[in-house]
Formats: sequence, structure tokens, C-alpha cells
Amino acid sequence: MIVSALLFAIGVVGVVVRRNAIVVVMSIEIMLNAGNLAFVTFGRFLDSMDGQLIVFFVMGVAAAEAAIGLAILILIYRNRESTDVDNLNLLKL
Amino acid sequence: MPGLFLFYLTAAVTIAGAMGVVSHPNTLYCVLSLIAAFIGLAGLYLSLSAEFIAIVQVVIYAGAIMVLFLFVVMLLDLRREEWIPLRLPIQKFTGALIGVGLFAVILKVIFSGSVLTGAKGEFPAERVSEIGNTQVLGKILLTDYLLPFQAMGVLLFVGIIGAVVLARRRAD
Repeated sequence: MIVSALLFAIGVVGVVVRRNAIVVVMSIEIMLNAGNLAFVTFGRFLDSMDGQLIVFFVMGVAAAEAAIGLAILILIYRNRESTDVDNLNLLKL
Repeated sequence: MPGLFLFYLTAAVTIAGAMGVVSHPNTLYCVLSLIAAFIGLAGLYLSLSAEFIAIVQVVIYAGAIMVLFLFVVMLLDLRREEWIPLRLPIQKFTGALIGVGLFAVILKVIFSGSVLTGAKGEFPAERVSEIGNTQVLGKILLTDYLLPFQAMGVLLFVGIIGAVVLARRRAD
């Protein structure tokens, strides 16, 4: 559980600190995996298989999310020549 | 206690890999240390006697998803961008502060004793290892969780189509 908490905290720091969009997406993956680890740990200590099944579904969703996210990143790079999240300020007044 | 040793070793590998992702300036090394972190996570799943999840972790995460990331990193040529100075110099400090604070809050919840108090399920580890982890998982997946399983198939299909539509070059 503590490892999972530490992993989640590292993921959040990654999202906040880094400005490279790819690293931000990877930090989100770290947070997803921290959640997975917590699920498996709970399942192990509560004698249930549901935790592992939910991890299975989370992996499927994460795969789809990574594919879409990276496609969007390629699109952004093509339009803006950069993956720096500070440059994505078109919505700013 | 080889099990405990495996746990500490893989936990150290996982945490070190995650730290590497967040702290290394070169995106390529970030991806590589994320692979190390995912393989460490697979070891953690093994020490929690979730063998099928461990294998899936290596094959899908460390294999498929990270290859996807590597492809994108190499397609985009990101070598030059980390040298721009941070717009907010306080950003790193604030980020570390948020991380430490969040970690402290989660630890407080874990040690408050209110977690892990639910009803015991019907699959203790000894019984699962008797039948076989994969067999139990498969049986539950195709009976109790059939609808989410099918929905995940649809989701992945839509994901494939969406990625293709987004990343294709406009024909103009």
C-alpha cells in the first residue's frame, strides 16, 4: 500500500512539474499503475479476485487512452512544432 | 524469506523507475525507466500471488504500450526543448510540496486502520493457487464480468479507429 501511495505521489509530481506533454502522459500511466497496485493488494488481503479483474479492465482502458493520447500529441506537434504544455495556450484570453 | 526479498527488490526498482521518469531531462530515458518501473510492478504482482496480472503487465504495458511511447518519442525529435527556462521558477518546489503533502495524506488514511476492513471474499490465496490463478480469473471474467468485458472490446475498437482518424494526414 505504501509503495502504491508513493507511486501515485510521484505521478502527481510528474504531471505538475514537467512541461513535456509526453512525460505528462507517462506520469498519468504511473498513477494508473499505482491504482492497479492498490487494487491487487486489497484483493490479496480481502481474499477476493475482483481486484485483479478490475486491474485487467484498467489495463484495457489505459491501452486505449495511451493510443488516443499519443495520436493527439502527434497532431499537436504537427500543428505547433512543440510538445511543451506551456505553449498550448490558445484558450487564454 | 525469499518472498520478502523479492518484494523489497521489486518495490525499489519500481520506485526508482518512477523517479527516473519524473526527473530525467531526456524523454527517451524517461520511457526506458518507465519500462523498468513496469517490470518492477510485475514483480510486485508476483509477490502478491497475482501471476496472470504480472504476465499481462509485462506483455501489455512493458511491451505494447511502451513501444508505442518509444515510437512517438522517436517520431517527434524532442531533443531540443528542455533548455527553455521554466516560466515559473517556483514550479518545481510547488510540485515537490504537493507530492509530499499528498503522500502524507494517503499514508495517514492507510495507517488510520479503516482500510482492509471489508468482508472477506471467497478466494483465499491458497485456494486460488490450488485451482490456478488464470483459470479462476477467466471463469469470473466470462461469467460475472461478461458485460464489462464486451464493453472493453468495444472501447478498444473505438480507440483504434480514433487513433487512426486523429493521426492520419489530411488529404488536401
